[in-house]
Amino acid sequence: MPKIRINNIIVEATDGSTILDAASKAGIHIPVLCHKDGIEHYSSCMVCMVKNNLKNDFIPSCSAIVQEGMEIDAASDEVIHLRKKAVELLLSEHRAECEAPCRVVCPAGYNIPKMNRLLADGKVREAVELSLSGLDSREIRCATCPGYCENACRRKKIDLSVSIRNIQLFVFQNIGENDLSMLKIGRRDNIEGIRKRFSSRIGHLEESELKEWIKESKNDAPRFREVNDFRTAGTEAESCMHCDCRAAGDCRLRELAQEFSLKDPVGKVVNSHITKKINYKTGLIFENAKCIKCGLCVRVCEDRNDEPALCFINRGFVSIISEPLTDEFSNILTTQTDKVIDICPTGALGHLKD
Amino acid sequence: MIEENTHIANDVCGCKPADVNLIKSAVEEVVASTGREKDKVIQILQEVQKKLNHIPSEALRLICELTDITPGQISGVSTFYSQFRHLPAGRHIIKVCAGTACHVKGSQLISESFKRALKINDDRLTSPDNLFSLEEVACLGCCTLAPVVQIDGKTYGHVKPTQADEIINDFLRTRQKEIHLQKEAHEDESDAEVRIGLGSCCVAGGSKEILSRLLEIKEGYALNIKIKPVGCVGVCNQTPLLEIVTKENVHYRYTNVREEQVEEILIKHVKPGRIDKKIKFRITEFADTFISDDMVNSPVNIPGELREKYLSNFLSRQVRLATDGGGILSPESIDEYMLFGGFKAIRYCLSMSEPDNIVLTVMKSGLRGRGGAGFLTGRKWEIFSGTRSSEKFIVCNGDEGDPGAFMDRMLLESFPFRVIEGMLIAGFATGAHQGIFYIRAEYPLAVSRVRNALKQCYEKGILGISVLNTLYSFDIRIFEGAGAFVCGEETALIASLEGKRGTPHLRPPYPAVKGFMGKPTLVNNVETLSLVPWIINNGAEAFSAIGTDKSKGTKVFALAGKISKGGLIEVPMGITISDIVEKIGLGVAEGRTFKAVQIGGPSGGCIPAAMADTPVDYEELQKMGAMMGSGGLVVLDDTDCMVDVAKYFLTFTHKQSCGKCTFCRVGTKHMLDILTRLSEGKADKSEIDQLEKLCIDVKNGSLCGLGKSAPNPVITGLLYFRQEYEAHANGYCPAKKCRELIRYEITDNCTGCTRCFQECPVQAISFKPYEKHEIDQQLCTKCDNCRVVCRDNAVEIVNINAKDQNQ
Repeated sequence: MPKIRINNIIVEATDGSTILDAASKAGIHIPVLCHKDGIEHYSSCMVCMVKNNLKNDFIPSCSAIVQEGMEIDAASDEVIHLRKKAVELLLSEHRAECEAPCRVVCPAGYNIPKMNRLLADGKVREAVELSLSGLDSREIRCATCPGYCENACRRKKIDLSVSIRNIQLFVFQNIGENDLSMLKIGRRDNIEGIRKRFSSRIGHLEESELKEWIKESKNDAPRFREVNDFRTAGTEAESCMHCDCRAAGDCRLRELAQEFSLKDPVGKVVNSHITKKINYKTGLIFENAKCIKCGLCVRVCEDRNDEPALCFINRGFVSIISEPLTDEFSNILTTQTDKVIDICPTGALGHLKD
Repeated sequence: MIEENTHIANDVCGCKPADVNLIKSAVEEVVASTGREKDKVIQILQEVQKKLNHIPSEALRLICELTDITPGQISGVSTFYSQFRHLPAGRHIIKVCAGTACHVKGSQLISESFKRALKINDDRLTSPDNLFSLEEVACLGCCTLAPVVQIDGKTYGHVKPTQADEIINDFLRTRQKEIHLQKEAHEDESDAEVRIGLGSCCVAGGSKEILSRLLEIKEGYALNIKIKPVGCVGVCNQTPLLEIVTKENVHYRYTNVREEQVEEILIKHVKPGRIDKKIKFRITEFADTFISDDMVNSPVNIPGELREKYLSNFLSRQVRLATDGGGILSPESIDEYMLFGGFKAIRYCLSMSEPDNIVLTVMKSGLRGRGGAGFLTGRKWEIFSGTRSSEKFIVCNGDEGDPGAFMDRMLLESFPFRVIEGMLIAGFATGAHQGIFYIRAEYPLAVSRVRNALKQCYEKGILGISVLNTLYSFDIRIFEGAGAFVCGEETALIASLEGKRGTPHLRPPYPAVKGFMGKPTLVNNVETLSLVPWIINNGAEAFSAIGTDKSKGTKVFALAGKISKGGLIEVPMGITISDIVEKIGLGVAEGRTFKAVQIGGPSGGCIPAAMADTPVDYEELQKMGAMMGSGGLVVLDDTDCMVDVAKYFLTFTHKQSCGKCTFCRVGTKHMLDILTRLSEGKADKSEIDQLEKLCIDVKNGSLCGLGKSAPNPVITGLLYFRQEYEAHANGYCPAKKCRELIRYEITDNCTGCTRCFQECPVQAISFKPYEKHEIDQQLCTKCDNCRVVCRDNAVEIVNINAKDQNQ
């Protein structure tokens, strides 16, 4: 049982275990991104950097094996700087947004893109429940709202914005009295929470732009299309471009950016065109611009001839996760879709309907 | 202009996709010969590509069906290594070397001129008639002949941007004039031995033509001579090199021999066999000799002393251990190596009862790994020797990928037996029974020489179940790399051997403990292994007597770039850089000033001329911010821009990064972006500081040696040549190298000869005979053609922006 020091705390580690294991045993927090317990380590993200004081070099703790007498520094400014830099570099490669503009500007913080997805998919009841969960008072604000969401809607740049308020109002009409009785009125902190979350979002939506929209929005903003039934609601919802990320609320990269209080870097690097690959059979969607190349999805699946899995292709800066060259994206991972979506630390792999 | 007379089989030329049956039979055939295991994937892909010109996706699918290889594995591997093509390529591959030496001599312009000449404008980089494909390769290892272009197997050196058409035509005309050297009986009574260097550099210099001429003359005059192809002498700048050793054991050396001079040289030293033969041959050849004026300029008329003075200057300061026997030993004959004292060391080792003593000897000698990092070889052997396992492997790392380095290629090409002996000693000393040569695919000659050497060793019982009639068994096989610089890193090399993507992992576990197939694996560099026999033969003390306190023995360097006499040199550790540059290489060209030395390739750094008294020593170089690296030594003069050099190396490491860790994959991209912006005059001074910080982060944060050392060229550049970086931030390139910051102008020296007009590929110069010409700056692509062809030095490169006020 090798004894090592982490942040000057003596830790007794199991033979052959990693520094990360030893640290977590001692209750020392080291952030990770490309690592998951139980899956073979790979060390690509470098977010779990620690310093080996004896050799004066930096090593990824998720794959560095403990050795008797090691002196590990997991908390100094140097180490934090390097971790922060790793996240910053990953963000500079990450060309996507956490939140859709409509949701960012919505004073009530309704989850508009998700509602649209549910409606477009005909899942009326789920859409109602979603709206209910976003409601913080009996007052339906969309009735009087000048429509910040519609002003911010990206669809506007192409033709007309989605008639979000009308859809939302129609959905609210379907909330039963029973549902409303369950509602806890006056959860003001809810909105505060949402606001805080949005301030940490990653993406190219700038504060100034946002303020501009809010200023532009007037009370008498026109409501373009009527929404009278679930059919028209569905049709209207279909024109939504889903500017949000499916993993907005469950993204390790975003969490780390928040932990290190990092904003989206200005200088982005471009390694390939932004594409979305969709497997309509299983609902798996892959968005390359969100991928951090951690390879968790590759490692978690068994690569077999009868069920091709995801793999890395190309080398270096342009390397990317892909279906094998011998197959179509619609033929892969017939039974392991949930597994890869689950393990993906970002929104690169997701479910079409989420 | 370009005609291809031979019939092109549709199935291989890439004109149209190969048909399914053909793919099927090719794949089946390959799999039948290589085997079905997962680790065979690289060999299978190499063989399939040889048969089909590229690897169509049907072939990938078929390979998966027929073997244990999985779809993910084959896709990952076939796209990782740059050797594999997924799109059809032209019938002939033109490889333009983009190595350091070639880069500083303008390889980018060469590549552009070939694109123009072949009208290549698609992503496939293939000419519209599918005859040629263009490839930029990291390094062909012919740095002394820079810039170099290789078409299929044929190498052209000192190429000028205006020569593209000429070279293509020459290639089509002389294609594949294969010479088959007959195995000659070893007759002691031959009048003389004629030695001709057949290393890659020599071949590129035209030694194959010389050889065929030698054979012709030998036949024609019925000369009683023995013609012997030998390995590299290291005098690569003077190729082809011919040496005649007479019966009296007198040596005559001739450098820069031309085809038409061969006859004269031979006849001077060797008497024709029969007089009637002589007359007959002479008459048929009469016309040729008569017309040429070469008699006057012939090397035969230059006194021998003068002829050899340069050679001895070049050779006398060197100490040859690894390259002992250069220019004497035939790389293809085991008998000669044995006569030269070969395999004496392994015989001695085999007779020892305690193999551990060999490890001790190597330890005591102070030998350190010659691959770059300089880990103590004896220590590595000791760790490896201490492991218990049913199987242990010795890997010879010949994946030399540094642009500007060619030591390993030369050692493998010229002294394959010595490397084999080194491996055998390592194996016996540490209890291993299997060896693997990992040689990069760009070195076909090295592969074939080693293959031939292995065959001879097996025949002589030096390899196999009973090495030299002892109970010890040792087997060696060859593994051809597939084009990935990162595989020079030992953990990546092992991943590649196992048929995976060549991504490194964190050490420990060290390969010496857990390597190939999870078994202990000793990875040693080619040069390290070739020094081992010498150490055994001469003792640890003799070796450690050479060199400095911590760096013992000798180091082989590839001396190239802006140097008068480049070549392959082996020098004792501790020699100063200025001794190498000024005394061995005779300095830079006349009129130029020696500016810096780039040592250690993309992982190394630039050492300025002012600090050239730095001795060659692992620690000293590291202190300077450079690195021994594998031993590329590229000399730079005042026309070389440090920002451009840094950008060149960063482009290389960025392209060769495996893409695994964040810092190397994304960090180098940001560094490269800043350097590019600097070279275009678009960056400001604050970005220089940003660059400097990023260098430190990438150095600290990368996973393996490639990323950790990638910032070195920039760090040393900023350390010693910061003012040059700052000049670029002001839009000024002091060396007049960065294209965006310069323009071409014609001066009053112009006599109106119209040469520049004729050579300009974009009609930026109009036809004005006997008048001063002018360059249309809007049209000019800065291809350098006009400057190259001008006989009056009338084309000048000027900076777009005036020198900044401070200077």
